[in-house]
Amino acid sequence: MTTAAIDARGLGKDFAALRALDRLDLEVRDGEFFGLLGPNGAGKTTTVHLLATLLAPSRGTARVAGRDVVREGLAVRRSIGLVFQETTLDRDLTVAENLRFAARLWSLPARVARPRIDALLRQFALLERRDDPVRTLSGGMRRAADIARGILHEPSILFLDEPTAGLDPRARRSLWERIRHLRAASGLTVLLTTHYVEEAEPCDRVAVLDHGRLAALGTPAELKRAAGAGSLEEVFLAHTGHRLAESDGG
Amino acid sequence: MRAVYGIVAREFVRFLRQRGRVLASIGRPFVWLVFAGAGFAAVFAGRNEIDYRVYMAPGLLGMVVMFGSLLAALSTVTDREAGVLRMVLVAPIRRRTIAFGKALGATLLGTAQAIVVAAILLPFVHLRPTLAGALLGLIAVVLSGLAMGALGLVLAASIRSIENFAGVMNFVVFPMLFLSGALYPVRHLGPVLRAATYVNPLAYGVDLLKHALLGGWARAGYGGELPVPLDCAALALFAIVGLAVAAPLLGREGGVTRTAFRERR
Repeated sequence: MTTAAIDARGLGKDFAALRALDRLDLEVRDGEFFGLLGPNGAGKTTTVHLLATLLAPSRGTARVAGRDVVREGLAVRRSIGLVFQETTLDRDLTVAENLRFAARLWSLPARVARPRIDALLRQFALLERRDDPVRTLSGGMRRAADIARGILHEPSILFLDEPTAGLDPRARRSLWERIRHLRAASGLTVLLTTHYVEEAEPCDRVAVLDHGRLAALGTPAELKRAAGAGSLEEVFLAHTGHRLAESDGG
Repeated sequence: MRAVYGIVAREFVRFLRQRGRVLASIGRPFVWLVFAGAGFAAVFAGRNEIDYRVYMAPGLLGMVVMFGSLLAALSTVTDREAGVLRMVLVAPIRRRTIAFGKALGATLLGTAQAIVVAAILLPFVHLRPTLAGALLGLIAVVLSGLAMGALGLVLAASIRSIENFAGVMNFVVFPMLFLSGALYPVRHLGPVLRAATYVNPLAYGVDLLKHALLGGWARAGYGGELPVPLDCAALALFAIVGLAVAAPLLGREGGVTRTAFRERR
């Protein structure tokens, strides 16, 4: 039986007169690798923050891991991991201290957290840097530590908001390697937002957002066929008519 | 609760790692004692009921708590700018637990600083509190720390960046200090300023500290003036109201904001 990991109905958010997200209907299946594409300001991050209970919706409803994002915020937050666009690590603390801090925030007992932190540090190649302040780490290492922080509590759904923004190609590749391993090992549901369209190729399904509206939804193959396009990038351009933007989107 | 412990522990680790902040918090009251103390002592000269430096001691301890706890709670602004606040907000913790954890961390930091300063300052001015006085002093310090921590959280939620810090110092910290009775008795002030002392949490904290430390000079008019239970109740009220106001404001800080769109579109 497959249940929906994420089920949004008519979900929308306004910032005063600005309609950041119109009315989004979206279903992400359990274990799915789902890509959310869109130009800057399309509403990708807004969607993620609504689903992660960091924003209150202006209209519509959403259930994440079977819980309502408005009424059961705590339960939703317990089941999800979220890696933000910008790092959330404390730069003055060491890598290990950051992970210990996160473990306490998620109420993991020390005897559970300690081996898990060790395993994650090994998996993310941060073992030698564990006692270095985060501020001394490279961008790629910081990102790796961010993701380790995001999965420390073993969430069933992981949100990755522009995880590779600002990383060099090598760091990007190793990051995708790790995420692939993670999914293979745990059956984790992953919702990815990105404006590097080619990164969404391995996704099971992809949604294209434009101006707060769903412009297209399907498997990469379906979308390419429907648009008569050879690559996801052409699909993206066909649906949004935008130039690919340089910086991160809201 | 483990999350509260985590938040408090982080405050302490950060504080102890900032050498300058540690030295400033210990050194600040002695700078005041030497410079403000010398000046005021000269003005007060001829009034032999109390040595001005003794009179200053409770106020200086109140000042240590104010700076210690208020600055610690104001670090929420840097947490927000650095993104750390988001890590906390996406954790499965209630907003009021976060606010409480932050305020508790600020309280314990302020209290620890006050204890260290008291251990040096009180012998220095030859003030030996009774055991009851010391206990009441500790209560005063903890309650003041909670009130200051809560106030700091409210301020942190309402100032957008650390650059507005000077404004906080000028319009909150200094008025609070001068209207607290830390440096001179406030009962001689005009009606408007006197009224202001009643909405000043530090005034209750310093009054409580005077009860604790200047009991021997009460008859000469230098002890605490308000009833002890009133001081305690006022500080507790400031703490509760502050936390109740700060908690939902903190929760607001997690998601993208309108500004993000304005910048990026």
